[in-house]
Amino acid sequence: MNNYADEKELNILKLEMRGISRRTFLKFCAVTAALLGLESSYGSVLAEAASEAVKKKPVIWLQGQGCTGCSCSLLSSLNPGPAEILLDMVSMRFNTTVMNAAGYLGVDILHKTMDEGNYLLVIEGSIPTADPRYCVVEGMPFEELVVKTAKNAAAVVAVGSCSAYGGIPKAGITGAKGVSEIITEKPVINIPGCPFKPDWLVGTLLYYLSFNELPPLDNDKRPLAYFGNHNIHDTCPRVSHFEKGQFLVDWNDPSTANWCLFKVGCKGPVTFSDCNRSWWNDGVNYCIRAGSPCAGCVQPQFYESFTPLYVPLFDLTAKEEPKEAASKGGGRKEGYDARSVAVGAGMTAAVVGGYKALQALNNSGKGEAKDG
Amino acid sequence: MAKKIVVDPVTRIEGHLKVEVEVENGVVVDARCIGTMFRGLEQIVIGKDPRDVPYVTERVCGVCAGVHGWASCMAVEQAHGATVPEMGRVIRNLMMGALWLHDHVLHFYHLTALDYIDPTAVLKYDGNVPELVAVKEKIKALAEAGDLYPVLPSYTPDDFCVRDPGLVTQLVFNYLRALEIQAKGRKMSAIFAGKQPHHSSMIVGGVTCFPTLEQVEEFRHILKEVISFVRNVYVPDAFLLATGPLLPLETASVGATAGHYLSYGGYPLDNSGNNFLFPSGVIFDNNFEDVKLFNPQDISEVVNFSWYKDEAVPGHPSQRMTEVDLDKEKGYTFVKAPRYQGKPMEVGPLARLLVMRYPPFMELMQKYNIRRPGAVMRHAARAMDTLVMADVITGWVDELVKLLWETGVYGSEGNARIHDTAHWEPPDEGSGAGLNEAPRGALGHWINISEKKTSQYQMIVPTTWNASPKDENGQLGPIEQSLIGAPVPDPDNPLNVVRIIRSFDPCLACAIHMVHPKGDRVISIQPAI
Repeated sequence: MNNYADEKELNILKLEMRGISRRTFLKFCAVTAALLGLESSYGSVLAEAASEAVKKKPVIWLQGQGCTGCSCSLLSSLNPGPAEILLDMVSMRFNTTVMNAAGYLGVDILHKTMDEGNYLLVIEGSIPTADPRYCVVEGMPFEELVVKTAKNAAAVVAVGSCSAYGGIPKAGITGAKGVSEIITEKPVINIPGCPFKPDWLVGTLLYYLSFNELPPLDNDKRPLAYFGNHNIHDTCPRVSHFEKGQFLVDWNDPSTANWCLFKVGCKGPVTFSDCNRSWWNDGVNYCIRAGSPCAGCVQPQFYESFTPLYVPLFDLTAKEEPKEAASKGGGRKEGYDARSVAVGAGMTAAVVGGYKALQALNNSGKGEAKDG
Repeated sequence: MAKKIVVDPVTRIEGHLKVEVEVENGVVVDARCIGTMFRGLEQIVIGKDPRDVPYVTERVCGVCAGVHGWASCMAVEQAHGATVPEMGRVIRNLMMGALWLHDHVLHFYHLTALDYIDPTAVLKYDGNVPELVAVKEKIKALAEAGDLYPVLPSYTPDDFCVRDPGLVTQLVFNYLRALEIQAKGRKMSAIFAGKQPHHSSMIVGGVTCFPTLEQVEEFRHILKEVISFVRNVYVPDAFLLATGPLLPLETASVGATAGHYLSYGGYPLDNSGNNFLFPSGVIFDNNFEDVKLFNPQDISEVVNFSWYKDEAVPGHPSQRMTEVDLDKEKGYTFVKAPRYQGKPMEVGPLARLLVMRYPPFMELMQKYNIRRPGAVMRHAARAMDTLVMADVITGWVDELVKLLWETGVYGSEGNARIHDTAHWEPPDEGSGAGLNEAPRGALGHWINISEKKTSQYQMIVPTTWNASPKDENGQLGPIEQSLIGAPVPDPDNPLNVVRIIRSFDPCLACAIHMVHPKGDRVISIQPAI
């Protein structure tokens, strides 16, 4: 009847992770250090910082024009699990999805934490600017709430593409904007994605708690270690099929199941994230591996400039410059030379050139390491 | 003298919800639900490639993640004339079935259970069960550090709250375990779905993932653990509460609606289009013996009390556009009022099981002589709804393995089909409806395609049904109905109000995807007037 027995020990270990057994967590920290590009010895520094359970960093997590998918993504984290993140790593003062308190009790906590200051402000969902009344949260227009809450915040983290860049709502009529367009007097770190991947946030938090500063960011204000350093196309396990001109066009054909997804709309060539390196949901899978074209959900251009999602970014056979595709690069249109690259296997010079050029123009947005 | 109580924000639900109730002599006499956020997803997809629509509308909600994408795919597929091949159907059932197990567990423990327990009772635990001692030590350490967020603060526990230290500690332990189990439910779904929340592999015409046997077995492995939790922990917990300490709430019919229930039916068991795990059907006036046939044409929308331009007659969603009227005098919400044959309908697990006449649930209703099921019975129904899925989903895994071998994926034949590629390109014209069951209830998406682009799109989601406002005949929406008569002895502590609302598992981002906030109103925080 009761199935606790077989897992009893494991669960006790988890609950007491910070006290008796820290092996799992130390391992996670070591891996995170490596992913962040730190010396492996920093693993223990990260673990140390996060284990100061007595004085956990207060977090205010506000939701604007979103779908709660980012809060749910945080709850989907395993290793560390959601209980460790919520109870051990941070002091989650205000998050309307998980908090017990409602109504005035919730608002009281919000104000109390704001008065104390020195909290992390995490924002999920975009901010409407066409009319403040498109999103009224906890009694005030969301933009006003964001500005007020950011005032005493130690750092501001925009999670998910809506919050980082406007995301899907930006394609609508509400004038949806990302946090960094509203909060300008404070550094904002973006952890985009639709939703964001939990290890991106957890790793960034660990870095911040350890060094008391934001990790190096790319030009789109994303942690370089998780985003700017990794082009989806370049790091794709299917890239050699692209080079050979082998494209999946029919999902029913098992012999092409692992071929390049460019022709069904993959935005990999213009997208930067480490999805190919560390997969989703405890490393079980991710879009491209599941045969789905990358939708570019971590990019500032998502979704408005990436529609239609299931048609090629540009015409591979075109002799002309793929103007449309270039314009999708968010205004980074310079440096295009279609004929300067050698002929690739099975492709015309223009094809290779188109691809290389797109790479070049996107590399220009990749940015250099800088301290936040 | 009636007192007005405002709960803003209602937490532990999806989205932004403010609730106003009027209390007279300790009992709710009037109620209004108000949503406060607008994105306009339906407008965003107008003019877009119809194949984009499931990707965008899936993002209506990140909690029920996926099921919107599914209903949207169904609508677009009908418009394209596409048919999902058998293996595609089974894979869809698996990735969505996994979310069924995830979603109900998340709702019970993380979104609602705290309404029924006094968490501080953990500190009084004096047993010696090791895992419960560990829970106590954990909570104690947090309490001593003065940092029990987000577990506390809370409304003051009332007489219905469980205070027994052993039981509460077990429930808190299960709460923590359930956090991990629901994450594993997401992981399980992602094996076929690519990622969760917001899967990527369900597209118009089928799915994109060609599973390997290893992936299927990995799914089965996690499934075993999740099902074990559902059967041995979640369902017993839900029943222990529903038939134990909370039974008085139920027999008093706290949170009961007028008793009209609707299910669209969902989870196709074969490719015939007639055979579903959850059948469709309609019940009126708590007349559980008489389940009527469901006719999609009998759905209508009315906007008399919503901030939209009045349309002369109630209309079918496939024909409606949304025009805002911010100055409408009698308007009080941005949620429209869908009706079925003119009646406000409750949707969700309770409606589903009543329409299905699921024997264990009907027995439970009979045993406790429940005539007007309320908030507590909604939780019991949700738990049994999870069991319905747990009972069949392993069979679907077997079905997939069989299909994989039969269709020769592992041989040279390679004739397995997961996608209707012949109908992938959008048609010049077309229209379609996707009617399905989401964890929260009946979900409908409607599309019209013109010149290969989306020309019209409407959604009526479960919470639009449940949180709908008054209609032209003065009938309240189901949640409003359910709040009337709720005991609220202390206006500062409206526990029953939030209990009832949460028993519907509302999803406000879903429900107000199409709405506008009222022009000149900035809502003030009014804890209790």
